[in-house]
Amino acid sequence: MWDDEMQERVNQRITYLSRLFLVILLVLTLRFWYLSILRGDWYKQKSEQNRVRVLSLAPIRGSIYDRDNQVLAEDIPHFRLIFEKGVAETEEIEERVERILGRELSPPFPERGVGEIILADQLSLEEVIKIEEVQNKLPGVMVESYPVRHYPGGEPFAHVVGYVGKINAEELKLLYSEGYEMEDRIGKTGVELEYESFLRGEKGYRRIEVNALGKVVRVLDYRHPCFKNSIVLTLDQELQKYSYELLGNRNGAIIVGDPYTGELFALVSKPSFNPQLLSRGMSTEEWNALSQNQNRPLTNRPLQALYPPGSLFKLVIATGAVEEGLTDRNRKIFCPGFLDYNEWRYPCWRRGGHGSVGIEKAIAQSCNVTFYTLGLELGADRIVNWARKLGVGQPSGIDLPGEKTAFLPTQEWKERQLKEMWYPGDTINLSIGQGYLLVTPLEMYRVVSNIATRGEVYKPHVVKEILNSKGEVIKKINPVLQNKIELKDETWDTLIRGMEEVVNSGTGWACRGLPVKLAAKTGTAQNPQGEDHSWFAGFFPSFHPQVSFLVLIEHGGDGSGEAAQVAKKLVEWWEKERKVKSEK
Amino acid sequence: MKSKAIVLILIALSLTGILAVYSVDPSRGEGWGESLFSRQIIWNFAGWLVFLVFSQIDYHQWIKRGWLWYFLMVLSLGAVLILGEGDETGSHRWLFSQSVQPSEGAKIALALFLAHYFSGQRENFDFWPLLIKSGILSFIPFMLILKEPDLGSSLVLLVTWLGVLFVCGFSAKKWAVIGGIGGGLLPLSWFFLEDYQKDRLLSFINPEKDPLGSGYHILQSQIAIGAGGFTGQGWLSGTQSQLYFLPARHTDFIFASWCEQLGFLGGMLIIGLLGALSYLFLVVAARSPDLEGKILASILGISLLFQWTVNIGVNLGIMPVTGIALPFVSYGGSSLIVNLASAGIVYNISKSEGWENWKL
Repeated sequence: MWDDEMQERVNQRITYLSRLFLVILLVLTLRFWYLSILRGDWYKQKSEQNRVRVLSLAPIRGSIYDRDNQVLAEDIPHFRLIFEKGVAETEEIEERVERILGRELSPPFPERGVGEIILADQLSLEEVIKIEEVQNKLPGVMVESYPVRHYPGGEPFAHVVGYVGKINAEELKLLYSEGYEMEDRIGKTGVELEYESFLRGEKGYRRIEVNALGKVVRVLDYRHPCFKNSIVLTLDQELQKYSYELLGNRNGAIIVGDPYTGELFALVSKPSFNPQLLSRGMSTEEWNALSQNQNRPLTNRPLQALYPPGSLFKLVIATGAVEEGLTDRNRKIFCPGFLDYNEWRYPCWRRGGHGSVGIEKAIAQSCNVTFYTLGLELGADRIVNWARKLGVGQPSGIDLPGEKTAFLPTQEWKERQLKEMWYPGDTINLSIGQGYLLVTPLEMYRVVSNIATRGEVYKPHVVKEILNSKGEVIKKINPVLQNKIELKDETWDTLIRGMEEVVNSGTGWACRGLPVKLAAKTGTAQNPQGEDHSWFAGFFPSFHPQVSFLVLIEHGGDGSGEAAQVAKKLVEWWEKERKVKSEK
Repeated sequence: MKSKAIVLILIALSLTGILAVYSVDPSRGEGWGESLFSRQIIWNFAGWLVFLVFSQIDYHQWIKRGWLWYFLMVLSLGAVLILGEGDETGSHRWLFSQSVQPSEGAKIALALFLAHYFSGQRENFDFWPLLIKSGILSFIPFMLILKEPDLGSSLVLLVTWLGVLFVCGFSAKKWAVIGGIGGGLLPLSWFFLEDYQKDRLLSFINPEKDPLGSGYHILQSQIAIGAGGFTGQGWLSGTQSQLYFLPARHTDFIFASWCEQLGFLGGMLIIGLLGALSYLFLVVAARSPDLEGKILASILGISLLFQWTVNIGVNLGIMPVTGIALPFVSYGGSSLIVNLASAGIVYNISKSEGWENWKL
């Protein structure tokens, strides 16, 4: 009886239990439905992310050649030994590799995101061969090649060619949309920077399926990194090196080029730096030592440094004066060795004076008094305008980064900035390229080149051709005629004859006795840092010029000295080594 | 009829288990006896032998010797704590060079003991002393297993005890008292938990907190199930289980592995089979002609129901990771044999029916 009652109760409980069971079943099913049906796609994506890792492979950068296809920059494969963790015991593999290579490895090994560690870096070719011979005894080990930038041209080319480095945070932010990633290499200066989009190359990648242990299950997809374009410069490797050597231990700049095309054969800046070291990556101390060096080796002097032009600027005054009819071949100005203006006396560089000089002789002799006089007659505003007209004070558009332009002082500027009025003395200083005026060497090079072409202004450039991966020319950089300066023939003739006389009878005496007729101008720039800067710029042959050049030697004394001697050697070299070539 | 259904469902579950283990077995290419799934087949044979034996022995024979099972259980669990061999998780659960897991046997032994103990009290069914005595007696194996540590198995014992109290008709008021005491003690139990168990509980509350640490299991399991979708990614495919993202993919998370491959449909097959089996256990209990059979079948049913719903709940990410295997399907000999043994007992009970008119 009691037993029956008890059994009834148990049965009742079992009934409750089965209802509870139905509820649990419903909850489980609903949750199951939610996960696999409602959120299925989301989880599918998650599982895909779990298993696929993409390892991008550094693109191979294009090479940079000089005009004769001599290598100035190229990627060279370096080798490192990668081990996929989990495939075998790391210690055991380490031991075997050490035995095979016959050298100690140095743990801890750097890890990479996909579960790989770098066992050894900078393997020699012999070592690579040793490893590959016994590859089957080294599960999970593979030799990986990666490109390293080499600069066989070295220091003479460092400013033009530039260097590469790891992308930094700001660059990455800017270029993220173009597929750059952390650790990518990017051009930092020079052609490496300016032509980055061509040189960069295409990334490769390895899409690999990994398991939860980080072990590579298989390679899903692979694309070789490749290079897209190479770049041929207009630079002449030998001339560039020779020019660099000619500067010796002086700081300065040399520019040599074709005035009729804008091609530059040499663009030298000294002191320089080793692009190899910069591309490899520098410690902060090394970098600071380089970037804070008082000689500023990182500055590309031809286009980034500003100097007073000194007497080179007299070409601008002469142009203005002749063109505006202030002077002609017949006007003579008497130089007693100084000019008295108001209560001040402004000296000519020759104490005894030049006597009575015409404009051509004034250019030849670089007579200050003549140019003081003409400068005062022109006035500061017109001087600045003429400078602009000849190519000073505006960017040349050269295909290199960081170009600076001249500082051309004006009355308005002086009153606003220095709170001082513009004195006639300022105009007098300006007339001989002193005072507040500052120019870049490239601008002065442009002035003489524009005289050489009698007013045809070509855009200067250092890149000649862009090649595709097969070495075919896909883009030729043609001369760009930027401007035609329309002057009277008389003006051009006067300037060129004056510049010829600089060499024949004037301050450029150091360049006498050359086999080619040279037109040039000396410059001696006083500067607050010390000894005068020495300028010498011109072109040759003076009739139908083929080459224009500029030499600047910081603290090289007067222009008739060091700069002219360097220029003479350059011209001699050209006549000997290149004249035949260019005539063919 | 029910007896046949039990056997059919068990066969289906056995096959499902072998297939499921095969599908995630990294060693399936290796020789007989080496690979996991071949061992699972061997254990199935052993389990079915046990099932045959248990199904033929009158269940009263087991219940009669309730105290014997109890002492054997406590002895072997004690032996595990003293002599036990560790496994890769650091728990000490094994005896005889990792061949026997006494905690699995305890699940059936405690059920037999409690059925004996409660049915023996039918003349003087005094609830409070019964509650306390049976509580103490159940607490001993519970603590022994918890110390191994094996939270999952000890929870099964706890539920078996609560189950017997429930089916024996403890009133709602008494449940409230038990619930109150239990609820009061629950925070205290925090101090008995191992660190990894605490981690599991915390990461259940917020798995994203540490997705590669203790929350890993839960997330990866949900990813596997979700990625399976309605029909699955296909037999032997699916990245979670095949590429080892899913931990314990052949044991505690075999359900997720299965669902990744065979989807919602495949998963509902397992839920359906286990649900039907648990339901049949309850039906057998309800129709059992005597109290012993009722109590035993119902607490075995409760134990089964608890194990698979918690396991699947963990796989689905709605319960904290407790370490309970999926009955009949998860890889593992002890658990499979014990489960088939319980099924054999229930089968035997089902042969001696009364209460034909009972309906759920």
